[in-house]
Amino acid sequence: MILTVTPNPALDKVYWVDRLNTEIETPMTRATRSLGWAGGKGINISTFLAHMGLETVAMGFIAGHTGRVIENRVREAGITTSFVWTEGETRTNIAIIEKGREERPIAISELGPHVPEMALRQFLQSYTRLVRRARWVVLGGSLPPGIPSNFYRELLKIAHQHKIKTVVNAAGDALAEALKEQPYLVKPDTRERREICGEPVESDEQIIPVSRRLVSAMGVGAVVVSHRVTSDILITPQEIWDFEAHGVQLVNLVGSEDALLAGMVYQLEKGHSLLDAVEFGMAAGTASAESVEQVCCDPELVRKAREKIRRVRLA
Amino acid sequence: MKVREIMTRDLTSVDPDTTVRELIYILDKSGLSSVPAVDEDGRVLGIVSERDIIEGAVPGYFELLHGSSFLPAVDQFSEKLKEIENDPVSLYMTRNATKIDEDDDDLAVADLMLHKNLKMLPVVNKDGLLVGMLRRIDLLKDLL
Repeated sequence: MILTVTPNPALDKVYWVDRLNTEIETPMTRATRSLGWAGGKGINISTFLAHMGLETVAMGFIAGHTGRVIENRVREAGITTSFVWTEGETRTNIAIIEKGREERPIAISELGPHVPEMALRQFLQSYTRLVRRARWVVLGGSLPPGIPSNFYRELLKIAHQHKIKTVVNAAGDALAEALKEQPYLVKPDTRERREICGEPVESDEQIIPVSRRLVSAMGVGAVVVSHRVTSDILITPQEIWDFEAHGVQLVNLVGSEDALLAGMVYQLEKGHSLLDAVEFGMAAGTASAESVEQVCCDPELVRKAREKIRRVRLA
Repeated sequence: MKVREIMTRDLTSVDPDTTVRELIYILDKSGLSSVPAVDEDGRVLGIVSERDIIEGAVPGYFELLHGSSFLPAVDQFSEKLKEIENDPVSLYMTRNATKIDEDDDDLAVADLMLHKNLKMLPVVNKDGLLVGMLRRIDLLKDLL
């Protein structure tokens, strides 16, 4: 079983517009299409894994009407739920994709509801129980108000006590804390800020030394960093590889990074190498970016997208 | 059809040392009226419901409802509830609760629920671990 944790789930709404009208006199913009999904990193990853036939449990904090919508949609996707209910209302995150600017969607994310101590305690009880059944634990996304920055670190500690392989996709203090527990695989979330633990990662020249320090000095198993929209760099203690997807027709980038990690976890769970896992993950991410779906779960489209992936060893 | 195909894949549950106050919070926020109590591995130890807590606060409350005997006033009930709010739910849960296997047949389970007037049953796998819940509505949807 693969256990995913999404502390701050969201109902993700995506609007496609021909042109985002920002004129003060007529600020109305009509969407040509809109879609909504139960989202958040862990949930997106569980969605892919469940569609690919793997058993997966989604954990996190949900609240209110939006929380109920998310719970229902997650279960409909064939995912087992173990959410902890809390006060308030789960987030709704919005992305606006303007025609011709598909590579730069406008994203607005809410903070999320405050998680009281009682709900946190309940979560830790459930997590400690469920982690014993897991083969992989995937932790992803922002932390809602009320959750301490060492949350992921504590969850990793519990998972590592049971020798479970762990994956972290986070940013800021949550990531910095998590790194201290030496996860197996890390994908820093650099969408909001092009930095990892306070160090800028604008270019390949910056990404490689910063990521190398994570694997050499901090003991992380492997790091994957996205750059240039359709490229990812894999850094392990032994090797550095650059992966690039060629000829991508961008439709919806939202969720494609999660599809990348989901594809990687799927392939690793099936016993494939890390290199194969990144290649398959990039194919899943590419297939997602080329479809309206947040996470493309069509194995045939993923297979076709794999033909677009090239890899080059950098070191 | 097998239970695994129609059950609700939800693992909401409590430890036996969860307090009554915490249980009320969980039931309130989740919209459930009962949850399984499980051990550290996820084996079902019992079920604890709103009714169990009411009975815990005022033993015999539901029998009093059906008779002409004196019913405690709400403020008295509230006091009794506050007296037990920090008690572990293990004191009030129904032990040896009926549970079903994920490979059980839907019709056999429907019969069981009907005869025992059960609204919800914990579903376990071959190792006895909680894997979901079967609600009456799951069966109704399945049998329609």
